[in-house]
Amino acid sequence: MELSDAALVDIVLRGESEAYARLVARYRDRYARFALHMLGNREDAEEALQDAFVRAYRSLHRCGDPARFGSWLLAILANRCRTAGGKRSRHERRFVSAEDRHYAIALDHPANASEWREEIARALARLDVDQREAFLLKHVEEMEYEQMSMVTGAGVSALKMRVKRACERMRRMLTEGEDAPTR
Amino acid sequence: MRQHDDLDSMEQDDGVIERVAEELRRPLRVNAALFDARVMDEVLRTPSGLRARIASLVQPRTFRVSPLVALAAGLLFAVSVAGSLLYVLPASPRAVAHTPARTAPGSPIVQFGFVAPHASSVALVGDFNDWDPKATPLRAASTGGVWSVEVPIQPGRHLYAFVVDGTVWRPDPAAPKATGEDFGEPNSALTVADPGAR
Amino acid sequence: MTNRLLALLALLALLACALLCAPAALRAQDPRLDARLDARTRDAVVGLIDSVRAEGIPSEPLVQKALEGASKHADGARILAAVHKLAGELGDARAALGASSTDAEIIAGASALHAGIPPAALARMRASRAHGSLTVALAVLSDLVARGVPGDTATTVISALTNAGAPDAELLQFQQGVERDIAKGATPAAALGVRAQSAFPRAAAPRTP
Repeated sequence: MELSDAALVDIVLRGESEAYARLVARYRDRYARFALHMLGNREDAEEALQDAFVRAYRSLHRCGDPARFGSWLLAILANRCRTAGGKRSRHERRFVSAEDRHYAIALDHPANASEWREEIARALARLDVDQREAFLLKHVEEMEYEQMSMVTGAGVSALKMRVKRACERMRRMLTEGEDAPTR
Repeated sequence: MRQHDDLDSMEQDDGVIERVAEELRRPLRVNAALFDARVMDEVLRTPSGLRARIASLVQPRTFRVSPLVALAAGLLFAVSVAGSLLYVLPASPRAVAHTPARTAPGSPIVQFGFVAPHASSVALVGDFNDWDPKATPLRAASTGGVWSVEVPIQPGRHLYAFVVDGTVWRPDPAAPKATGEDFGEPNSALTVADPGAR
Repeated sequence: MTNRLLALLALLALLACALLCAPAALRAQDPRLDARLDARTRDAVVGLIDSVRAEGIPSEPLVQKALEGASKHADGARILAAVHKLAGELGDARAALGASSTDAEIIAGASALHAGIPPAALARMRASRAHGSLTVALAVLSDLVARGVPGDTATTVISALTNAGAPDAELLQFQQGVERDIAKGATPAAALGVRAQSAFPRAAAPRTP
């Protein structure tokens, strides 16, 4: 029996802290994805997300509309991502070596995908944080602008402009391979 | 009117943005047990006049975790993130290779990989393990002739190479070459950034 | 009487022991070198390490260089020459980067010198980044030069990036980008040029926290 966000918030506020775990489970994976794309690496994303969950718990009584706990949590997370910048980034590098170069290429073939993913990640990282955030909320989280406005605190027309610019830059970076930003 | 704006930018799109979005929408799976436990540990620790906490979760506190826990978390996170690995790691927990004690706890963990389908052994040697071919063997994945190992390595610049079948020295073709005195065998260079620095 | 004699003998034995052990205690006792080098080479290497340690030069890279040679079955003379060369480079790096540099910086600096970057360039790098570690910047510089990028150009570009506040992660990405372009067929200088061009507008923009 799935309890709604509002019901769970209610239960937690009445003293059953353990019930918070269900909210965590509900939003964990989806928001981890957002945090990862915002911050660029898993460690920072995990840390930011944990932090956001804890903060949300601690100010749960201030959540205006428990039915929209998800958006409220996302707002906390988005804010955390903007200010975080990875305090404790662990730097992990991966190498794939090959005795035979050809073999390596064959192995990497499913990852013309992997190179593409890397290019996307790099392009995302080059967007300024406002644009990246707006882009992810619109095209990855697939939110409506009104909802995005509540999450980010920015106006709808500002958000549209950010999304538009982000799309333009991403397109340029990924098709022409140009990194030069134009404002 | 709003719809119109969206359509406008999508129309100019020629599909790139849609492909990007598709890629970025790929679901991520976090290691639930570890993550949830860490959050709930903090949550239940919160002094808030609520019911005293019942569960005793065996987790390190805050975000400073022992390298092994971080390694485990990192590995599981890595395996879950769709396609972020260049190749699939075996499911069984990977032993952390023996490294000299001087490696500081909290050193970043570096993954080394080598493709050698006909080799019977591949070892990592470098200035972080006394260049000892016995110190850090790579483990072969079940398929594909892919060997790998994860090693905590102190921030800074390092030299390393692979030793195949105990005698054949190979640099890492994918890594920067190191110039210079190599006693006849070339080395590869590795730069590990300091996790504390920005 | 017997007791005194015994006491005297014990004292003598102790003295003898102290005399024999003292030199060893003063020297760099590293069992790793004992195990892997022949005695003559080991003595020479240890002597060298001892002599430079007093100048603030980190000894571990020298030990590792010796062990590298041992693993590669190089002869003693070659090992000693390599260790000697590295000690020189570490010393020069330390001089160019300043005595308060970290070991990691000195090691990275030595690799830059080894790649042919002049000491003056290291000093320039130090001037370009007053706070924060130069380790990654110097390592990236070494790698670029090893790849065939002209030293001057590489130094100019990397200095400019560090001067503009580029974080280590960006320097590493920059280097990886250049490597990738070279792998795709660009000449090293061209690859650097293209990447530098796109990096500089960013570098010039005010950094957001």
